[in-house]
Amino acid sequence: MALYINGIGCISPQRTFDNSEFLAEVKEYATNRLTCVDADYTKFFDAGSIRRMGRLMKYGTAAGMIALRDAGLDVPGAISTGTALGLPEVSQKFLKSLIEVDETIVSPTTFIQSTHNTVSSNIALLCKCFSHNNTFSHKGFSFESALTDAQLLVLENMDNILVGAYDEVSDYKYAAMKKTKELRGEPCNNLDVYREKGNGIIAGEGAAFFVLAKEKTENTYGIFVGNKTFYKPESTEEIRNHILSFLKENNSSLKDIDVVITGISGAKETDATRIDLNKNLFAAQTIVAYKHLCGEYMTSSAFAFWLASKMMKSQQIPDAVILENRNRSPKNILLYNSHKHNHSLMLFKAC
Amino acid sequence: MKVFIAGKGVISAIGNNVAENFATLRNLQTGVSQITVLPTRYAETLPAAEVKLSNEELAQRCGLNSSEPRTAFLSSIAAKEAIADANIPDFKKWRTGFISANTVGAMDKTETIYKYYLEDDNTDKLIEEDPYDAGYVTELVANQLGIKDHITTISTACSSSTNAMAYGARLIKANQLDIVVAGGCDAMSKFTLNGFNSLMILDTNPCTPYDENRKGLNLGEGAGYVVLVSEKVAATLAKKPTTTLSGYANANDAFHQTASSPEGKGNFMAMQGALEMSGLSTKDIDYINLHGTGTSNNDLSEGIAIQRIFGDVPRASSTKPYTGHTLGACAGIEAVYSILSIENGIIFPNLRFQTRMKELEFSPVTELLENVEVNHVMSNSFGFGGNCSSVIFSKAN
Repeated sequence: MALYINGIGCISPQRTFDNSEFLAEVKEYATNRLTCVDADYTKFFDAGSIRRMGRLMKYGTAAGMIALRDAGLDVPGAISTGTALGLPEVSQKFLKSLIEVDETIVSPTTFIQSTHNTVSSNIALLCKCFSHNNTFSHKGFSFESALTDAQLLVLENMDNILVGAYDEVSDYKYAAMKKTKELRGEPCNNLDVYREKGNGIIAGEGAAFFVLAKEKTENTYGIFVGNKTFYKPESTEEIRNHILSFLKENNSSLKDIDVVITGISGAKETDATRIDLNKNLFAAQTIVAYKHLCGEYMTSSAFAFWLASKMMKSQQIPDAVILENRNRSPKNILLYNSHKHNHSLMLFKAC
Repeated sequence: MKVFIAGKGVISAIGNNVAENFATLRNLQTGVSQITVLPTRYAETLPAAEVKLSNEELAQRCGLNSSEPRTAFLSSIAAKEAIADANIPDFKKWRTGFISANTVGAMDKTETIYKYYLEDDNTDKLIEEDPYDAGYVTELVANQLGIKDHITTISTACSSSTNAMAYGARLIKANQLDIVVAGGCDAMSKFTLNGFNSLMILDTNPCTPYDENRKGLNLGEGAGYVVLVSEKVAATLAKKPTTTLSGYANANDAFHQTASSPEGKGNFMAMQGALEMSGLSTKDIDYINLHGTGTSNNDLSEGIAIQRIFGDVPRASSTKPYTGHTLGACAGIEAVYSILSIENGIIFPNLRFQTRMKELEFSPVTELLENVEVNHVMSNSFGFGGNCSSVIFSKAN
């Protein structure tokens, strides 16, 4: 179901929290682990709360509040979020303390913040939103499920749904990724992750929230036309078929698409399919990449959703995201992202 | 459009399948006892409701590798039972989803490995699966079930599996899927045991929900799933579905991260929403399967909200004195019990109840009631983060 994007909020390893800017300056990192550029949290929380909240709790909640304020809403109609890993850093603090003291005395502060729904419910608490509140926690389908939930809610007569996703790189996850050789070797440069000879991803994180609604407003960014997920495709051919049938289901076709946002990440093996599609299926489209800006993480498609929103409203494609320029203006945008077995398609249309 | 329940499956401290759970419920036997499986220093001091099988035994039963998380074994056993029970001809031809819930993913694995990680962050023991990767468990089981059209995981603390069932029903109503296996699972872990202990809400004796002298909850573990089907699928079944999922609602208390508001605002809204959707009046509800954890705060807020909404409160009981609080699994397990109640005209008692709470005008059912007419059951689940969900099961005509 097509919905208007009426408010956005994004906190990422780039300066994205200020909606009046659009990647004016791109941050370059000489590491394989990108962390969020913090917003001024005193605009959202009192000093005591800031002290108590973990890092993700702060940037996740703030991103939601930015989207609400951007849409001019005090209270959304409902809240639906996705997070692949919940709040690992604060949870691991609790785990560490209980192991270190061999289960004797532990403080509940970190345990309280450890459930996956902490950010979603914290936003509800702050804006006194008593209605539907959901948190999906399924790898590369987490944000996608929240989007489906939002679409169903509108079908069920709700409106102004705050939908978003948040994740962070924990020390444990970072160590595990190093071990499995998923990460790009250091030294490396995030802006060169697709071009360098090296292999591997740059770990990333972030939070992005959106207000999706039935009606257009003065602040509308564009239309979120629809999304589709598919699991464990067996071939590039199957992926192609999913893409083409998804476009057809949304009364569109490849020739209508101006811009493709690709999930290319720097990992050679998975990028091979993406590069094949970019070359052969999306030969006429401007190809835009984003994981050099925010890094790879399981809900990175929410950053891509933010990018699509900004491109639609500004009708500009920043040089920093262009992989292949075919001089198309960002009217109809297709996102194809994947994380391991989780594949995701989203379609956007400028107003 | 109706959503039917074509099958059910469960594993808990009181049985490894539906028949065993039903027998133990009727025999009024509790699953709460001394901890024998989870390696913890609280084994003798904090009672819990464990599934009395080792990881190796569970793995063997479900065909997963014994190095996988215990949560996945529980999930696999209950989900497979539900699908077998539904016995849907040409299962593969329909658009099928697996919507599972859990709260701590692979935590039982990680808390063992984490010790080595703290000693050496380059240890070979590190696993790629993050402890909080709730979806990892779901995918392991989805792969076994051969379901791939729609897979997702919900993690809204103790209300998780109600929200999984509701999301599944909504996907069927929106004609995106025909069949959804929905419910949840959670295994015991030191993480949750110590967490609830740090909040000082664990009873050092078997729990007594809704009792004036209640001291807290006992943790439990298990999994419970239902097979939700569309009217079209229901029409093809040899065994006619006994029950429909007639109402559900998700509300937020927006009061405190871990405590319920004194008046139970979120609880009230969830129950009211579920009633509205079902088109039923409060008089139609024959039985409420309470969230009834046994904590001072939950039982009071839930009880007050029930009184406010029902006035004349129907028969109600918490089955957590049997199973402990199984967190992300509880609503899946209690869904199975609610359906058993409808199918058999039976109401399971609130074990160990003695004294009515002074703030309430009703007491839970304390004896097994058989041969009673049970047409509509409401089941509640409320969790951290103010997440409040209620669901209603109705006898299929």
